[in-house]
Amino acid sequence: MNGPWARTVAQFPYLIDTLLLGVEMTVIVTLGGFALAVILGLGGAVLRTARLALLRAAGTLYVDVFRAVPVLTQLFIIYFGLAQLGVKLAPVPAAIVGFGINGGAYLTEVFRAGIEAIHRGQNEAALAIGMTRMQSLRIIVLPQAMRVILPPLGNFGIGLLKDTSVASSVAAPELTFRAHMLVDQTYLSTQIYLMVAALYLAMSLPLAHLVRRLERRSARGRPA
Amino acid sequence: MSLDDLYAWMPQLLVAAGGTLRMTALAYLVAVVVGLLLALARLSRHSALAGAAGWYIELTRGTPALTQLFLLYFGLASAGFVLSAFTAAVVGLGLNYAAYMAEVYRAGIVAIHRGQREAALAIGMTNAMAMRSIILPQAIRIIVPPMANYAVSLLKDTSVASLISAPELMLRARDLSSEYFLPMQLYLLVGAMYLVMAYPLAKGARYLELRLAAGRASG
Repeated sequence: MNGPWARTVAQFPYLIDTLLLGVEMTVIVTLGGFALAVILGLGGAVLRTARLALLRAAGTLYVDVFRAVPVLTQLFIIYFGLAQLGVKLAPVPAAIVGFGINGGAYLTEVFRAGIEAIHRGQNEAALAIGMTRMQSLRIIVLPQAMRVILPPLGNFGIGLLKDTSVASSVAAPELTFRAHMLVDQTYLSTQIYLMVAALYLAMSLPLAHLVRRLERRSARGRPA
Repeated sequence: MSLDDLYAWMPQLLVAAGGTLRMTALAYLVAVVVGLLLALARLSRHSALAGAAGWYIELTRGTPALTQLFLLYFGLASAGFVLSAFTAAVVGLGLNYAAYMAEVYRAGIVAIHRGQREAALAIGMTNAMAMRSIILPQAIRIIVPPMANYAVSLLKDTSVASLISAPELMLRARDLSSEYFLPMQLYLLVGAMYLVMAYPLAKGARYLELRLAAGRASG
């Protein structure tokens, strides 16, 4: 018995151990990219809702440009392009920065929609009692906007988790990259990529379930 | 980068951009057709069919398109079934997007009031006729805007097909980059080319969204 499936079974402990190392890195890149995207998305939303037309234009430019270019191209600019200019980022930081900047453009629109869904009077009242615009945003508007923001934010997280597979192309040692190396060693492409698919499912399905629950809860909690 | 480099690159990149557009159009066609079939299967009264479609949609949406492309391209090849990279990309991205489209169709169909279908059946239409002449024409208004947005993301996602060496813009850029060692210039240029293709498409999608939303409010 030396078929590919028999070899997969025989080598299973080694394969799964190596892939789990990749899972760890996938989680790190996802969390890092997510955190950066949230920060940039908030910044972008502040720009997009600013009073100064110039700031609003800057926010729009950020959103329009970074949403219209593939994240793979952006990763290559950050990893290979910056290296050419002497700024050598390691693969994982490069991936986190790339996904963060790209994701920030998407989240800008998510946060903006959330902020604009809150009645203007809330902000005006906050300013009237002497809060600054930033205080009003942080203490009054955002907490209420969370209800609108959370579901798309969760969906963004699930999308990001899957998109991190693309970071394998800049040699970030995440799940897909580890899988490549194993396929090169063992030629068990079908078996290994099926294991990879199962591992992504094991991460994304519970997340999707959670997001759906959030969605239902926020729909229920909406004032009548 | 000199102007000579640009003259050397541009013809090749433009041909490759043609590949990107062709791949996008073909994969989109696959997704639109298969997505509709999946949605109809998902809404079918036969629970086995509905269950199978549901599983397909969940599994496909739960895994990266890249993993699916690898399975289709390398996996099938190791089983002796060799697809060209371009075909694998069209089929892989098409079947991937079909799962997302199925949910768009389903949402559109479900949003049409049940009474519409009941009335159609009452005047003697078959189920299929009711779907085709009564429900889908009304659901289109809900379906079109998200479908247009998927066209924009599909256009960008074809870049991932470069990782299975399918001939499109990113692959050409990577080849040129390893020849000229000017990755920054090349990837910025390619980024601008994607922008030129995706931005009008995104604006068009936005226009459709606003127009169809306006139609719904007054209609």
